[in-house]
Parts: sequence; C-alpha cells; structure tokens
Amino acid sequence: MHPSVDDIAVGEMLRRHGISRRGFIKFCTAAASAMALPPWMGPAMAQQLQDARRPSVIYLSFQECTGCFESFTRSFAPTIESLIFNVISLDYDDTLMAAAGDAAESALAKAMHDNFGKYVLIIDGSVPTGAGGGYCTAGGRSAVDSLREAAKGAAAIICVGTCSAFGGIPFADPNPTDAWPISAIISDKPIINVSGCPPIPEVITGTLLQYVTTGKVPDLDEHLRPKAFFGTTIHDRCYRRPFYDQGKFAKTFDDEGARNGWCLYELGCKGPTTYNACATTKWNGGTSFPIESGHGCIGCSEPGFWDKGSLYSPLSATDWGKAGESSPRQVLELAAGAIVGGAVLGVASAGSGRLRQYRSEHPLDSEPKDS
Amino acid sequence: MSRLTDIGIRIEAPTRRGGLGGGVAAVLSELVGMLERVALGGDAATIDLRSLPMSPQDRIELQQTLGQGEVQATLSAEGVSTLHETGVSGVWWVEHRDRHGELIAELIEVVAIPQILAASRDEMIAGGRALRERLSIGHEASLEPKHAPLS
Repeated sequence: MHPSVDDIAVGEMLRRHGISRRGFIKFCTAAASAMALPPWMGPAMAQQLQDARRPSVIYLSFQECTGCFESFTRSFAPTIESLIFNVISLDYDDTLMAAAGDAAESALAKAMHDNFGKYVLIIDGSVPTGAGGGYCTAGGRSAVDSLREAAKGAAAIICVGTCSAFGGIPFADPNPTDAWPISAIISDKPIINVSGCPPIPEVITGTLLQYVTTGKVPDLDEHLRPKAFFGTTIHDRCYRRPFYDQGKFAKTFDDEGARNGWCLYELGCKGPTTYNACATTKWNGGTSFPIESGHGCIGCSEPGFWDKGSLYSPLSATDWGKAGESSPRQVLELAAGAIVGGAVLGVASAGSGRLRQYRSEHPLDSEPKDS
Repeated sequence: MSRLTDIGIRIEAPTRRGGLGGGVAAVLSELVGMLERVALGGDAATIDLRSLPMSPQDRIELQQTLGQGEVQATLSAEGVSTLHETGVSGVWWVEHRDRHGELIAELIEVVAIPQILAASRDEMIAGGRALRERLSIGHEASLEPKHAPLS
C-alpha cells in the first residue's frame, strides 16, 4: 500500500531531496521574511517544520481568470516547486496536473476521500449561482456543488484572490452571474482570505506555509485576511510616504513631481485605504510594486474595489474619516455600504441580510458521504 | 527616445538636509542599541531589510554608511548566499539567493558570527563517524594483497 503523505515529515522529505540543514534554514529564513514574520522566526520555523507532516492540498478554480494561479506559480520564497515537493502534497490542480477528464475527477475524489477532514482546500474564483450554477461547470457539476462537496472534508479553506475572498470583478455591479465569495456559501469551516487581483505570490505561499508550519489558522483581520500580510496599509509602508507628509504630490503622470517620485495620492492612489504587503514584499521577487513603477495603488485587495469609482479619482476625505474618531477602513466601509446598499462589504463581513438569506436557503451538509 | 535610460526619471531622496535619510538614521540608531546589547552578552539580533519601506537610495546610503569589513563568506546551499561583515564589527550584511540567483532574503545580523555558517554538533558527530568509516575501509584496503591470490 502506498504510504499516506502524512507518514512523511517535511524534514525527511527535504533530506530525500538532498537539501542540507543550511539550505533548510535558508528556505525558512526566506519564508519568514516573505511572511513578514520577525527574522528570528526563520530558524524556529526550521525546527518546527522538521517534524511537520505534509498536508494534502486540493486546488479548485471557479469563476476566475487564472491570474491568481499564475501569480502562485511565480513565488520566489518559497518557490512553488519547493512547496509542492517538500512541504505539501498537491493532490489536485486542474491547471498543473497532467491528467484530464475522468482521470482528473477520479484523482480529486480519491484525494478528498483519503484525506477527509485533513486536507487544505485552496480556491480561486468566485462562485456563480445564477442559472442554476450553469455559468461555471466542470465535469458536469456546477461550481457551487463542487465547492460544497470539497468543503465538507477540508480542514481549512484558503481563498486565493479577491474573487474567491470578496467576489471580485464577477461580483461587481451588475453581477450578471449572481456570483458570490466563498464565505457566502461555506460557513462551517475556517476560511483564510488571501485577497488581491492577483495576490502577491509570496503572500499566497507564505500563508500556506504558515498554516502548515503551525497547523493553525493565523491571526486574521475582520475580512479574514492574515494580519502578517494585511496588517498595515500600503500608505503606512510606502517609501513615498515622506512626500505625502511634506505635501509633495505628483499632479499628472508626467509632471515634475512624478519625475521626482513624489506621492501619487492626488492621482488616485488607494494606498491609504488598502491593506496589503505590496510596499514591503513587493512583486517579481521583491523587484518593485506599482507605486515604485509610478502608478498609484488601485486597492485590489479590498472588498468591492471595482465598485468604488474611478481608479484615478483621489480618495475623498470621507474615505479617510476624521482623525481620532474612527479608522479609515471603518469610514470606508460605512461609505461603501451606503453606496451599494450594504451588499459588497456586507458579504465580506459575512453579516448581511442577503448573506444570511442565502445561507438559510443553501444549508451546508457537513456529513461526509460514504464513498 | 530609443533607450530606457533616455527616459527622464530621477529619484529624489525624501528628507535630505545635509544628513542621512530618516529611514537610514532610524536603522543605524537601532543597530547601535543592538550592538550594545549583543556585546554585553545579549541574544543575536536581526533586521529584515525587505520589511522596511526604504527607497533604493536609502538602501545604497545604508550600505555606504556601514561600509565593508574584513570578512566575506559564501554559502552554497539551495543557491548562493553571501555574508559579509560590514565596516562595523559584528554587523553582518546577509543576502540569500535561490538557485536562479533571485534575492529571496536580505538581512542585517548583529552577532559574532552568523548562525548559518557554524557547523552543528550533530553534523560534526556524523562527520567524525563518516571519517572513521573511511579510515577503517582505507586501513582494510591497505592490508589486502596487491594481487588476488591464485585459487
């Protein structure tokens, strides 16, 4: 009988691949850096991962553009291949796997059965519920049915991308497919939202690695995002912040201020109300991020970002709130909630009437089916 | 305009009044405190440079201020890492790169010698055992006749 992936510890798997102790410490140091953890966590993580079991991971894609998966595969620390071979057992991913058709569906069923209650379910894309779920089907099954079945045996669900986390662009007005985020449909499993359009590669792999390392859901913000990556705004960590404080702003994309690298606030930068790690983790292996390339943040990791008006309109003072009274985020939620009738952000906080109604009409059957 | 370098962009340092940038000064001040604690027997300390919102110019300024020391080590494990002691003794600038040469971590460590360079006790024991085996194999081999005996 083929041994379960749970029988093989990460440390043993690394040794089998000829990775030395120093190489392992280096891997963990880079991962801790990517996860914005304190630097001393690298060696500590190496110690913990040494004996950790490799979890089964199932990756499902629904109503999405595959941009999130493209991002996932471009992680530098840890790399996707090092994750797949050493830290997790990626048992199903319809983009990467060679199998297709019945063979692929059988692999999915087997992975869910063999690891019931223990696997990590990663999902990108929103779930369209219109037309009886007919807007997104695979293997003759709708996305909503596939999600509900796969969620039953999941230890935790990681929603990769703003579409699965908050509905994203499919959820934006007028939402023709009646798309929903995962948290609108699944309510009885731990959910970790890794938002972004797409999310930063290292934030995806770092969140997964953090879960594997600790076996626990990390500290999350009110939108179920890991605080390690989404704890501060882009603005708080932006290297152009001193220009904001000095009142030096670019007025157009080709004026003297733009050439001097001044703050892009007046060109519509959403950094002050956007929580993400772009300003520190950056993109393409830490090369740069949109603001460093001269374009303001578009706020893609926030709920309802597509319905908040022009990407090039400066944030209103009402978005920021009044100092000392409430946080910019609270004010933004109130403003956006008023604009869209509470739908967009209500879903993200899992508290809207529509959400409760949806759940009451679609209760999740948590009992496993006999196979 | 035919080349990227023809594009008229320059980076202006945000706070320069004849001194160091604010971010650089803050890091240097923290290093002073770290050095004092480590020198008095405290635990090693590390700053993750990628977690700091520094401009490219700040980074260069920090490197230039710390300078280059006497020791440079290269580690080949899952890609090349370079660890060099800066001009300030006990302050190490560490760069970890992956197998493709991409920078995956950049740290400043305040410590006598970075932990990753030191051999571990277990590895030394295993190394001694391996050497002993080689010696015994070599010894047995030396006792073997030069030519196989006729049968």
